[in-house]
Amino acid sequence: MDIAEPAQLEVRSLALARGGRLLVQDLNFQIPRGRFVVIAGPSGAGKTSLLSCLAGLLPAQRGSVVYGGQHGPHEFRRRLGLVFQHLRLTPNATAGTNALCGLLGQLPWWRTLAGFSREEKTSAAELLTELELSDCEKVPVRQLSGGERQRVAIARALIATPEVVLADEPVSHLDTRLARAVLARLQRETRERRCTVICILHHDELAEEFADSVLNLKKDAPGEWHLTERSS
Amino acid sequence: MASDGEVVINREQPPRLTAFRVTLLIFALAAIFSLPALRGSGRSLDHGANLGRFLDRFWPPDFSILPQIFPALIETFQMAVLATAFSAAFSLVIAVAAAQNISPRPVVAAARFGLNVIRSIPSLIWALLAVAAFGANSLAGVIGLTVYSVGYLGKFFSDALESVETGVAEALRATGANAIQGFQYGIWPHARPLIWSQTLWMLEYNVRSAAIVGYVGAGGIGTWLHTYQEYYQWDKFATVLVCILVVVLILDFAGSRIRRQCA
Repeated sequence: MDIAEPAQLEVRSLALARGGRLLVQDLNFQIPRGRFVVIAGPSGAGKTSLLSCLAGLLPAQRGSVVYGGQHGPHEFRRRLGLVFQHLRLTPNATAGTNALCGLLGQLPWWRTLAGFSREEKTSAAELLTELELSDCEKVPVRQLSGGERQRVAIARALIATPEVVLADEPVSHLDTRLARAVLARLQRETRERRCTVICILHHDELAEEFADSVLNLKKDAPGEWHLTERSS
Repeated sequence: MASDGEVVINREQPPRLTAFRVTLLIFALAAIFSLPALRGSGRSLDHGANLGRFLDRFWPPDFSILPQIFPALIETFQMAVLATAFSAAFSLVIAVAAAQNISPRPVVAAARFGLNVIRSIPSLIWALLAVAAFGANSLAGVIGLTVYSVGYLGKFFSDALESVETGVAEALRATGANAIQGFQYGIWPHARPLIWSQTLWMLEYNVRSAAIVGYVGAGGIGTWLHTYQEYYQWDKFATVLVCILVVVLILDFAGSRIRRQCA
């Protein structure tokens, strides 16, 4: 860990609850830039709730989330890329438009009123091609398979070159080859742009292969979380 | 009291008074209460023969007036198209204000109240008000129909917007999109097919309404309907009805084809 550089993400004494059940408490960790962090744990341990809290979508019971030394999730949201567990894509829009929606936070509303520029469309097409979706650019998302939709959601998260990517089970609908390709693409973001990637993964093997750190959460044991560094 | 070891299951009895049964009962009572409305003139008349004699005057329709009424038919269509276009534009704005999943509660309440007021007044009355303000011409018809259509389209559009899951818009806003972008890319694409279909339905409806508002001087083919009725020229009146029927059938056919394409 590079201790000379301020942490990209810092979680301080965080406590999270959902439906009256305490999921996590006294969670403290710092993540420097360019790390690939996997959140692991059984169903119901609070992985998705933690990711939602990091994205500023779920308020914490206690504690705080600090981005870049000073920003909270709300101020930082334009620099976030999000992949949701249920994807939250627009079914009637094409894969290309859905991917381009990742740019909305970077552009004023009047710029996107009549759609996106040629350059923006080209960059979306390139990203979709990288994710093996070149044939799907002009296809409405409702006509795509689960795996294709998942990669469209990943394209939407990556198109604005975010500083932090938060991904909830981003490869759950993909076969092993595609899952590796997508995680390798995310890993490339961490290595080349020093983007921080935090994702929930259920596959220990893939976590072993790609993660720099693994945050393990336990069900019904809010205080027994454990952050393991896998590489420097 | 159950004996030792016996398991007693308390089965909950279904309620006798369900909402459906209560509504049915209220409707039945209302129907009985309304029976006096069926009272006729009290005179002994041969209703069938009366109707037959009246309809006889419609046959054969006098198609010689076609060149005379054709411009009015075009004007009726133009009134309907403009009223639908204007009302769709206004309704979209009002529908956003009236949608519970988009706007704050006081704004929703105000917008819905306005739409209810508009809907409670018939199109003929709106046309009459417009004639009083703008004179007896097709502009009054367009304005009257526009206001009336806003009452319905505003309600339909807000229902369409409310049927949309806001999860996509929230997802976009979570990464910095503003409310307009969230609406344009997160809500509008879901609601668009329904809104388009409802607009086409309103166009069909407005063609029928535009044919009637002429009765109060608001332009269109209704003016001829009124004239022929005043002078008991039922054969010509029948020709106007046939023309309206043809236009409505064509629109209905085209509308359902377009709706299928948009679905």
